[in-house]
Amino acid sequence: MGGPASEPRIVVDAVWKVFGARCDEALAMSREGVGRSDVLEATGCTVGVRDVSFEVLPGETFVVMGLSGSGKSTLVRCLSGLTDVTAGSVRIDGDDVTSMSSSQLRALRRSKLSMVFQHFGLFPHRRVIDNAAFGLEVQGVSKVDRRARALEVLEIVGLAGFEQHYPQQLSGGMQQRVGLARAIAVDPEVLFFDEPFSALDPLIRRDMQDELVRLQDRLQRTLVFITHDFAEAIKLGDRIAIMKDGVFDQIGSAAELIRSPATDYVREFVRDIPKTKVLTARDVMQVGEGGEQRVHADVVVEHLLPQLLSSDSVLDVIDDSGRSIGVVDRAAVIALLEEQV
Amino acid sequence: MTTVSRVVAPVDAGWKRFAPWVGLAVGALALQAAFAGSNAFPGGLDTLISGPIDEAGAWMRENRRSHPLFTGVFMPISDIVDWVVSGLADVLAWIPWFAVVAIGAMLPITRRMYRQALLVAVVMGYVGVFGLWELAMATLAVMIAAITLAVVVGLPLGVVASRHRRVEAALRPVLDAMQTIPAFVYFLPLLMVFGIGNVPGVVATFIYALPPLVRLTVLGITQVPSSAVESSKMFGATSLQTLVKVQLPMAVRSIVTGMSQTIMMALGIVVLIPLVGAGGLGTAIFESLNQRRPGRGLAVGLAIVAIAIVLDRIARASAERDPLKRLAPGAMAGLAVGVLVIVAVGRGAGWVDFPAVWKPNAFDPIDDVVTWLRDNLRGVTRAMNDFVVADVYLPLRDLLVDVVAWPVVVFVTGWIGWRLRGAKLAIFGAAAWLVIGAVGLWSATMDTAVQVLLATLATLGISVPLGVWAGRSPRLESVLSPFLDALQTVPSLVYLIPFVVFFSVGMFPGLIATVMYSLVPGVRITALGIREVPVESVEAAETFGATPRQILLRVRLPLAAPTIMTAVNQVIMMVIAMVIIAGLAGGGALGFLVVESLARSKFGQGVEVGLALVLLAMLLDRFTEAAADRLRPPAGS
Ligand SMILES: Nc1ncnc2c1ncn2[C@@H]1O[C@H](COP(=O)(O)OP(=O)(O)OP(=O)(O)O)[C@@H](O)[C@H]1O
Ligand SMILES: [Mg+2]
Repeated sequence: MGGPASEPRIVVDAVWKVFGARCDEALAMSREGVGRSDVLEATGCTVGVRDVSFEVLPGETFVVMGLSGSGKSTLVRCLSGLTDVTAGSVRIDGDDVTSMSSSQLRALRRSKLSMVFQHFGLFPHRRVIDNAAFGLEVQGVSKVDRRARALEVLEIVGLAGFEQHYPQQLSGGMQQRVGLARAIAVDPEVLFFDEPFSALDPLIRRDMQDELVRLQDRLQRTLVFITHDFAEAIKLGDRIAIMKDGVFDQIGSAAELIRSPATDYVREFVRDIPKTKVLTARDVMQVGEGGEQRVHADVVVEHLLPQLLSSDSVLDVIDDSGRSIGVVDRAAVIALLEEQV
Repeated sequence: MTTVSRVVAPVDAGWKRFAPWVGLAVGALALQAAFAGSNAFPGGLDTLISGPIDEAGAWMRENRRSHPLFTGVFMPISDIVDWVVSGLADVLAWIPWFAVVAIGAMLPITRRMYRQALLVAVVMGYVGVFGLWELAMATLAVMIAAITLAVVVGLPLGVVASRHRRVEAALRPVLDAMQTIPAFVYFLPLLMVFGIGNVPGVVATFIYALPPLVRLTVLGITQVPSSAVESSKMFGATSLQTLVKVQLPMAVRSIVTGMSQTIMMALGIVVLIPLVGAGGLGTAIFESLNQRRPGRGLAVGLAIVAIAIVLDRIARASAERDPLKRLAPGAMAGLAVGVLVIVAVGRGAGWVDFPAVWKPNAFDPIDDVVTWLRDNLRGVTRAMNDFVVADVYLPLRDLLVDVVAWPVVVFVTGWIGWRLRGAKLAIFGAAAWLVIGAVGLWSATMDTAVQVLLATLATLGISVPLGVWAGRSPRLESVLSPFLDALQTVPSLVYLIPFVVFFSVGMFPGLIATVMYSLVPGVRITALGIREVPVESVEAAETFGATPRQILLRVRLPLAAPTIMTAVNQVIMMVIAMVIIAGLAGGGALGFLVVESLARSKFGQGVEVGLALVLLAMLLDRFTEAAADRLRPPAGS
C-alpha cells in the first residue's frame, strides 16, 4: 500500500462551498467561526464544505467518509468542477480547476478525469457498449476504435457478452460495472467515485469492492472515493478522511484513525471496527527484543493470534530489511480484544 | 403570514365577519339606484377597435399583392405551407389506398404492436368503406402539416426554454393564452393575413398544437435525471453533445407520448377549419349539420376518431423506445420493401382510389330514428326546450342585460376578485368588463355569460356527483371510461347535429351539446380528486366512528375541494369553447357574432368579439383558479 513518493496529483487548498444567494456574507460569518446552523438562520445559506485541504498522491486511493449530509458529494463535485467552489482552490497536476473556463475544464475532463456515480447515471437509450464508449465518443474517437476499447473494458469488469444489452436489462451490480467500464474506458489518470456501491446489496457490494481493488492493483490510478461505510473505507483506502458538517475531522490511515482518533466523532466511528483486522504488528508492538518467532511489521494482528495463543513467548517484529524493530506480547493483543467487545 | 391570518379569520368576533358582505350589498344597491334606467353600457367607443381594424382589413385587401409585408413575409410563408399541404395531399392521393393502410400499420408492426397495427388497418378501412377516403386524406394532410410545423417550431423553442429560465418564464403566459383563447378567435386574423384556403386552417391547427408540444419538450428535458446529464458533462461532452446524445434521446419518449394530447387539440380545430375555407372531413360535418343528417354526421365523426386513432398509434409506436420490442433490422427492411412493392403494384395496375363498394349512407337509418323520435316525443322535447329557454334562460338574461345596471356587474366582479386574491385580480376583473363594454359588446357578452353559467351549472350538476361516485367505485369508473373517451374524441360539432334535429335551431340544442362535450373533464378530475384523498384521513375518520355519509361530507369532499375547483375551471374553459360553436346552431350572442363576422369578413367586429371572448375566458379562468387556491389547505411551512 501507499503510493510512490512524488508530486501530489490533486491538491485541495482551503476549499469552501456555500449554497445560497448570500454566500459571500455567509462565508465571511463562517470564517469568523459562526456555526453552520447559525449561518443558515442568519443568511439562509448552507455551508456544504468548510475549509477543507488535502493532497492525493499519484496511485493513491483517498477515501472521504462521513454520514449523510456531511458534504461528501459537494466536495467531490467541487473537485470535478461540477460545482463552483465559493473559496479556495483545487489543483489537478498543477492546473487550478476552480479558475478554468468551461472549455479548459472540458479539455481536462477529456484528458484526465472520470467519475462513477451513486445512481449510476447510465444512459438508458444506449446499449451497454455505447454507454462504455461514451467518453471516447464525445472526444471524437472513431466508432470502430471506441467500440474495440469498450469491449476491452467490458471484458475487464466482467461484462463480456452483455455488450448488446441495454442498462435496464442488467442487475444493479452489473449496471454499476457498466458505470465503472465507462469510467475507465477513457483511461483517466484521476477517478472520482461518489458512493458508487451504496445502492447495491451487501454481497454485490463486496464483489464490486474486490473488483475495484483488483483493478487498482493493475492500473494504479489516483482515486478519490466517497463512502459512508467505514468497512468499505478501510478496505479500499490508503488514507481516509472523516468528514462531519462540511469539515475534515481527521485524515489518516485506518490504523492511525483507530489508534489515535482526533475527535469524539472519529472515536465513535471507529469504535465498532474489528481492530484486530485493521491494526498491524507495528501498531501494537513494544520496544524490546527476543522472541523465537519472527513476524513482519505489516501483518494484521488477527494473523498473529494463533502463534501468540499457542505459546507463551513474545513475537519478534521485523521490518522489510529483516531488522528487528520491536516485540508483540500476548497482553497487548488481549487488551485489544477486550477493547473490541 | 397569510396562512396565519387565514387560520385566525374565522375567530373574528361578531358583525366584523359580515362587514365585507354588507359592503357588497350596500355598494351594489347604491350603484343600482344611481344607474337605474341607464343600464346599457354607454356607447361612443364602439368603433375604437373595430374602426382601425376594418381599415387595416381594407388596406390588406388592397395591398395583398403589392406590399412588401405580404410579398416578403406572409406570401412566402403562405406559399410554403400551401406547398407542403398540397404536396402531402398529392402524395396521399397518388399512393394506392391499400398502400396508405399498409404504411399506417407498418410503424406499429416494427414495434411488434400487432394489435395496434390491425386496429389502424381496420379504422382506415372504415373510412374508405364509408366513402370518406378523399376527405380523410385531405384532413390527414392538414394534420400532418400542422403537427410537423408544430414540431419544427416547438422543439427548438422547448429546448431553449428548458435551458433558459427567463425564456421559459416569458413563454409560459403566451402558451397559456394560446390555449385559453377559443379557436374561433384566431380564424379572423389568419383570414386577414393569409386569405381564404388551406393555409389559415393549417396555421390555426398549428397554433393549437404548439403549446402542448413546447410544454412537453421542456418537461421531457428537465425530467432527464441530472445524474445522466452530469455524467455526460463529466466525460467532457459539450453542451450540444449532451443535448443531442443524452437529453433529447431521453426526452423523446415523454415528448412523443404527449403527442396524443397534441393530436387531440389539433383534431378539435381541424374540424372547424372549413370556416376559413380549408377542406377535409370538417366540410362533411358542416354539410350534415346544414342538411340535418345526424347519421351522416356520426359517420363523419367516427372517421375523425379513426384519424385520431391512426395518428395516436403511430405516435405511440414511435415513442416505444424499448429496444426489445423492435423488429430485427432485417425484418424492418423486408417490411419497407414489401410496402414499396405494394405501392408499385397498385400504381402499375391502376388500383389507386378506394373502390366504392358501400353506399356512404349506411348510417342513414339513424336519421330516420332521430326524426321518428323527434316526431313522437315532440310534446316532451318542446316542454323541455320551452322550460329552459323561456323560464330560465330568458329571464336570467333579461335580468342581467336589462335590469342590473352595468356598474353593479363591474363592482361585484371587482369585489369577488378582491376577496379571492386581492387588488390585482379585482382590477383585472373590473377592467375586463369595462373593455368589453367599451367595444359595444356588453349585452352579447352578458348573454354568452348567462349561457356559460347555465351550461356550467348543468355540467357540474351531472359530472361532480358522477365523478364523486366514480372516484369511490373503480368499477363504475371502468364502465364509464370508454364512454368518456368517445365523448372526448368525437368532434364537438357532431353532438350538435342530433340535437338540432330534435329541438330545431336555438340556444337549447347548443346547451345540451355543450354539456355533453364538457362533462368529461368534470367527471375525470373530480374522480381523481376523490381518489387522491389520503387513505389515512379516511381511516382516521372511520376510527372515530364516522358514517360513510359523514366521511364523504366532512373528509372526502373538503379534501377534494381544490381539485374539484380545478375541474370547475376546466369545465368552464370547455363550455366557453363549445358555447361559441353552439352559435352555429342558433345560440346567438357572441357565437353568432363570430360566425357572422367570419362569413361576412367583418374584421373589426370579429376582432372585438375575439377580444371579448378572451377577456371572458381569462376572467373565469383566473377567478376559478383563485377560488381553487383559496380552498387548498395552507401548506406545511
Ligand atoms: N444544490 C444545493 N443547494 C443547497 N444546498 C445543498 C445543495 N447540495 C447540497 N446541499 C446541502 O449541502 C449539504 C451537504 O450535502 P451533500 O449532498 O454534499 O451531502 P452528502 O455527504 O453527499 O450526503 P449523502 O450521503 O446523503 O449523499 C446538505 O446539507 C445539503 O442540504
Ligand atoms: Mg452524496
